[in-house]
Amino acid sequence: MILANGTIYPSSEQSALLDGLKEFINATRMGEPLSVDTVIGAIDTLGRRMAAGEFDDLLRQFGVESLFSLGEQVRGSVRLLSREYLEYKVTTELGRDFFLPRDTRPMLGLSGVKTVPPPLGVLFHISVGNVDFLPAYTVVEGLLTGNINLLKLPQADNGLTLLALKTLVEIEPRLADFIYVFDTPSDDIAAMKKMAELADGIVVWGGDAAIRAARSLAAPGAKLIEWGHRLSFAYLSGNWRGQPEELTALADHLIRTEQLLCSSCQTIYIDTDSMEEMYDFCRIFLPYLQAARNGRPITEIGAAAGMTLKDYNDELEMILSGNSSVGENRAFRGRNCGLFAREDSELELSELYGRCLVKRLPRDRMMTVLRRQKGYLQTAGLLCDAEDDAILSERLLRCGVNRVTSLGHMSDHFAGESHDGEYSLRRYVRMANVEMRG
Amino acid sequence: MSYTGRLFHWKNPYDTEGTNDLFLVAVRENCAFGYARNASYRAILDAKGFSPDDLREYEDIARLPFLPTLLFKRHELYSVPPRRMLIKATSSGTGGRFSRIGFTCGDLLNGAPMVWKVVRRRRLFSPVPCHYVVFGYRPHRDNHTAVTKTAFGATLFTPSLGRTYALEYKNGQYVPDLEGVAAAIQKYAKSRFPLRFMGFPSYTYFAMKLLDERGIHLTLPKHSKIMLGGGWKQFYREAVDKEEFYALAKKVFAVDDSDIVEFYGAVEHPILYCDCPRHHFHVPVYSRVIIRDVNTLEPLPHGQVGLVNLISPMVRATPILSVMTDDLGVLHDGRTCGCGIASPYLEIIGRVGLKDIKTCAAGAAELLANAGSVR
Repeated sequence: MILANGTIYPSSEQSALLDGLKEFINATRMGEPLSVDTVIGAIDTLGRRMAAGEFDDLLRQFGVESLFSLGEQVRGSVRLLSREYLEYKVTTELGRDFFLPRDTRPMLGLSGVKTVPPPLGVLFHISVGNVDFLPAYTVVEGLLTGNINLLKLPQADNGLTLLALKTLVEIEPRLADFIYVFDTPSDDIAAMKKMAELADGIVVWGGDAAIRAARSLAAPGAKLIEWGHRLSFAYLSGNWRGQPEELTALADHLIRTEQLLCSSCQTIYIDTDSMEEMYDFCRIFLPYLQAARNGRPITEIGAAAGMTLKDYNDELEMILSGNSSVGENRAFRGRNCGLFAREDSELELSELYGRCLVKRLPRDRMMTVLRRQKGYLQTAGLLCDAEDDAILSERLLRCGVNRVTSLGHMSDHFAGESHDGEYSLRRYVRMANVEMRG
Repeated sequence: MSYTGRLFHWKNPYDTEGTNDLFLVAVRENCAFGYARNASYRAILDAKGFSPDDLREYEDIARLPFLPTLLFKRHELYSVPPRRMLIKATSSGTGGRFSRIGFTCGDLLNGAPMVWKVVRRRRLFSPVPCHYVVFGYRPHRDNHTAVTKTAFGATLFTPSLGRTYALEYKNGQYVPDLEGVAAAIQKYAKSRFPLRFMGFPSYTYFAMKLLDERGIHLTLPKHSKIMLGGGWKQFYREAVDKEEFYALAKKVFAVDDSDIVEFYGAVEHPILYCDCPRHHFHVPVYSRVIIRDVNTLEPLPHGQVGLVNLISPMVRATPILSVMTDDLGVLHDGRTCGCGIASPYLEIIGRVGLKDIKTCAAGAAELLANAGSVR
């Protein structure tokens, strides 16, 4: 289904709608601009209705309870949709009174210049379905900056996005001409090209393949805004043995996110050269991980069975290999969780679902190793002695990491956070100068 | 005669209760054979602290270490020298990897009375010649898949007037030819001789859909049958409700559901499971099924969903005595079926895997997609 100008159309109307869109969008751009207050008001109302439980049944039908429970998801979303959060986000990312024109008197050149922040114009969002609310959220970011938004839904979208955006338009009809949602399949290149041609900016979410595809769609004049998939890790230094609360928090993080998020820890690094210290960590940490797993079993039966079978198979492989051909690599297996100590230091994706890699990374080699994943680094969860905290945080940032948090907060959201090292809203606006004449 | 030989010659193919003792000694016999001659198998049993002598009571079979089908995809685990293996068969290798299972002449001889008894019970043998449409692969010397061999085998239940294949071998690869099949079906429908289908449920279903969409509704000759085997494989997501399948067969071919027969089997467990007239897969005497908990791998009681562990002493050449499939299933009490067979019946409800998992960790989507097709 398609959402255009507040009306739902069948997918078969796509071609006709796309053909008429250019003129329509041009007219919208010449009309009343969208103010940030209008947008925030509408979203806040949506959040309040959600908090009141109005959409609980629908959300349950859409099956959003996969990784987090409905309550957790609703609580999280409601916070993200609140006026308070959004205003804080806008102010942090863009600065106070950003949307008001400013008169400046440059010291060189022109005598008077007005600085205005118009929206980029039209954003074409190509969203993947890796988080339920993501497609709607990327449109919200576009709206906050006054853009007209074309959204290509992910193939796996279950209807939630369309419903959310339709509701938003019902709350605030002035948004109607700023939201267009298409359920175009990814292989309909012709339609995707048409949408890309209408856009001033292409916002693409997804893995390397999605990013590559978007790059091929974009004309040289279009701005590409890429939110790719990332890797995160934990870094433990100093007296980690004496920090049971931190270890509990890390175990909880691994199991709670099932290591499926960009911000989920994939490799646990120990600041050491010693294989023994690494094994020691595995021995000590495994009971923490097991306790977390016991508290949160894998609920999807196919996934649980797949993991159990894989563990069992790996065990037999180990027996067949005579336990020898794997060198110093060792597996510390729990039930539906495990730690895999490796000789090398590469940052790698783990096997997910509470199966984490453990490697050595002495601080002096940090730059060499982490740079090999440049462009993919996101969060580092850091546990270290107090006197090292500033040094290690700084080093991690220099290596290209964009977030340093405590072990338990690796996947936590907060108002005004940067997104993969950038304030996303800034990418969706221009800075224009108008000379003040006469 | 070996214990296994006696088991495979047992008169009533569904007398599992009456064969428990014999099954146990046949399993012990097979286990001891593999243990003595197959170093890999011995290493696994040793590491698991299990010896063939530990098989004392029938219940001990559940303790016998099982080998996942995945293991046969990565290793050639034979218990006899290659020259003693009459044939080697492979699984169909959905997802790129396939199991290699060898059979000795003796192993295959066990299969003969099994096929005879199971197929006869379903009244599939007939002296009346039939046309065959195979919704599967045309046999070819480079194709070692068990599914191709068994589909061909099913066309030997009666004299054959000709075989049309949905998957033809052309220029070194198989290409589906549903149009050719549709034309053949329409031609054979006019014949006096019965038409029999054998093969993948998915292709059979697609062909029926195709005819139905074109408004072609036929009345197949009397005694025509639809035989299904090979599972839904990569079309699992499109697996249709059985009732819907039967309704479509009635509509397009005028074939009643009593003339639809489904087989279940795997190259790693080459026992012929054939559905009863109520379309349930009762466990035959040659096989036992243990459903295991998806987390602990402990055996589960009837009625609960878990991983499907299949046990049979049929084959000595490869240690497939107790294999763990990547199917999820339930074992039901046989008496609840009502067809008269008392042995429990197996219902396959899905596959292990990680479908529809949402992730944004770099590379994770690809990892999960591959993990979902380990078969």
